[in-house]
Parts: sequence; C-alpha cells; structure tokens
Amino acid sequence: MYRLLGPFEYHEPGTVQEAVALLSKYGDKARLVAGGTDLVISMKKRDLAPEHVIAIGHLAELKFLEFDPETGLRLGPLMTHAAVARSPLVREHFEMLATASNEVGTPQIRNMGTIGGNVCKAGPSQDTPPVLVALEAQLRLLGPRGERTIPMVEFCTGPFCTLLLADELITEIRIAPLPPRAAGCYKWCTKITHTDETLAGVAVVLELDEGDVCRDVRIGLGSVAPKAIRARQAEDVLRGKQLSPALIEEAARAASAEAAPRSRAAYRRHMVGVLLKEAVDELRLKIAG
Amino acid sequence: MKTIVDFTVNGELYELAVEPNLLLIEILRDKLGLTGTKHSCGVGNCGACTVLADGEPVLACMTLAMSVRGKEILTIEGLATNGVMHPIQEAFVTHGAIQCGYCTPGMILTAKALLDRNPDPTEGEVRHALSGNICRCTGYVKIVEAVLSAAEDMRKGAR
Repeated sequence: MYRLLGPFEYHEPGTVQEAVALLSKYGDKARLVAGGTDLVISMKKRDLAPEHVIAIGHLAELKFLEFDPETGLRLGPLMTHAAVARSPLVREHFEMLATASNEVGTPQIRNMGTIGGNVCKAGPSQDTPPVLVALEAQLRLLGPRGERTIPMVEFCTGPFCTLLLADELITEIRIAPLPPRAAGCYKWCTKITHTDETLAGVAVVLELDEGDVCRDVRIGLGSVAPKAIRARQAEDVLRGKQLSPALIEEAARAASAEAAPRSRAAYRRHMVGVLLKEAVDELRLKIAG
Repeated sequence: MKTIVDFTVNGELYELAVEPNLLLIEILRDKLGLTGTKHSCGVGNCGACTVLADGEPVLACMTLAMSVRGKEILTIEGLATNGVMHPIQEAFVTHGAIQCGYCTPGMILTAKALLDRNPDPTEGEVRHALSGNICRCTGYVKIVEAVLSAAEDMRKGAR
C-alpha cells in the first residue's frame, strides 16, 4: 500500500535565497516541497526518493497576490488553488484563472496544492496551464546565476518536462491586464473518475473592437497535446475578422486540427471545437455587455 | 534526525519529536491514538483521511508532519463538546447517512468547513464541497440531506 515514506533529510530554509543555495548544493538529490500533493505521492510510490527535501511552504515572500491596473497580476507561486479560486481580485480581472483553479483535483487538494507546484509539475491534463498560456503569463525564475523570465507557453517542453533547472524555483507568475473590450473564459470536459481528470480544456481571451470584429484572440488548449499549447491557426482564422457563425465554425475546425490527443483522439478533437465555439459565443455576449 | 514540532490537535498543544518522513496521519493514529482519522487510498483520491488544518480540509495521508508546525488540527474526535455531538454528527445519525462509517469522519469534517464558511449552502454547493470525499457503500443522497439539515439546525442556533 501507498503508506509510508522512506527516509530523507529535511530542510526548512528561512528565505528564498537560502532555498536556492540548498538546491545548488544538493542538485538532483534534492526536491522542493510546498503543498506536497505531488511530491508525497511520488515518494510513496517510490518513483522519487530524494535524499533531501527542501520545504518552502512556509516562505511568506512567495505567498502574495496583487493586482495593479497598469502592470496586472503578480501571483506568488505558493498561493493555493483554493486561494486563487476565491480571490476577489482574480475573479474580477481574470475570472478564467479562478474557474480553472477551482477545477484542480478535489477541494482538499486545492487547499494544499499550489499554483507554482502545478506549473512545475507540467502534467498534460492540468487545468491552469492552458489558461496561463492564453493569458500569456510570464514566469520569474530564480537560481544561483540570478533571475530569468520565461513565457508560460515556452516553460513546458513536454509531459512533466519544463525549462526549470534543478537549482531554480519559480518566484512569481505575472499576467498583464486585459484591454478594455476584452474578456476570457475557460471551458472543459472531463472523464468521470474520482478526480474527474480533464479530457479537453479550451481557454480563450478575446478582444473585440466597437463592432463585432476580433481585434485580438489568444487560445490555449489543455489535455489534448503533450503540453498546453496555443491554437495559433485558429487564432489567425479569427483575428481581424468580423465574427460570424461560419467564421467561428472555421476556427473550431482549425483548433480541432491543432489538437494532438494521444487517446480518444476523435472525441477530444471534436470537443476542442465544441468548447471553442461555446467560449467565443459566451465572450461575445460578455464583451457586448 | 528528529525535530521538535509543536502544533494543536483538538485544542490541545502537542510538542513532539518527529522523524521528517512521518506523515500527519501517522502522528494522529499511531502516536496520539486518534484513530478516527482513516487511512484509505494513500494518494489523495478518497478523502477518508481528511482533517481540518486551521479550519480548511486537508489530507492527513499526504501532509508531512513537519509542515503542520504552529497549526490547529481538528480531527473527528474533537468535534463533540462535553460528550454532546456536533449538529452535523447528529444529522448524519438521524438521516442514516452512515453505512460502514469509514468515510464518515472525513465527510463530517469537510461538511463542517463548508458550513463554517457558508452557513446556508445550496445542494449543489454541498455536493461540490464533498466532491473530494468518496463513499463506496451507497450513494450521497442521505449524506447531502444530512448536511443540509445540519445547516438548517445550526442556523436556527441549535449550537
């Protein structure tokens, strides 16, 4: 049974800099733990057996959530899914992120797991990555060589693979504010299991001009490719054009073709189109107010 | 190497020397004898090991004991006061919302967290809140009814 953990040395750094120093010192032999919802399972299953576990869950400097109308949202990686989902600032300015955060795992998992941990896990069927991709989120990473910033869409390189180096951690997730006549939403469908894993997720940020012309659009797809991807061909179909049922249908077909699901491919491709149409229709009404 | 961790369980302060690979559920069941918290799937799917940490439902089987330092843990044993059951416990009994009982402590604690936050939930809100607690005996109808009934009793000021 998945019951006990093997032995390891436990570290509780007092600052982010100390955490980075520990990561540099122990390299591959160390793993960070925040909410524990991912690492503890891997360790129970003996998929991972780190000699050093570096706890960061207590670091207040990584727990923040601020919104500025000019610069947008600054999100600390240690914010739990539940905290993101409940945040009035997130719900007001980036409702789609609250929606997706409220779909992660179960209520208990959402109280424990963090958005930073979710991003680093880079599981292909997670709900927050397509939303962060559509919102063009930027990730700030800190390592012994200093800081760097990576767009979310580039951060994941494949299933459970990211550009994060063994001695780095995420210190901030940044999302620019949406333009005035823009809105976003997240649509998904799931398997029916204990955790209702997502089969297809579509995140759309749509900007319209005064008429019904699509000034800009960003589409993130989750669960239907090795990682969350942008449906750029579907975006190109819509961008700069007057929205019409025929055009939206064409974009839905393009998005379905861009999806590359590993299993149940026909159904999941079909659902990408369905969900995209649902999202665009909803956003048109919302922006028209 | 053992490290001292201090935290509160059901209102009592404990100061324990623990190995870092101990999980909260091992502390509760094996060190403190609080066997009301159940171990089941071990991987975060079933919710049987749910306890409240600072009022929020978390999974004791996936929580490192070291990480609860300074927190207030509530287990099912801490819910009754002076031998009088909590209204949610009472409602589970009167509505027959218990069969084998294995999921019950987690269900009741999750329900408590919900009602503390939202004293007048809809049926949908109850079902969403309980979606991380699995019952394999029967179904959820009586459980949901019990939670809604307890909410009503609590609003009337039963406690």
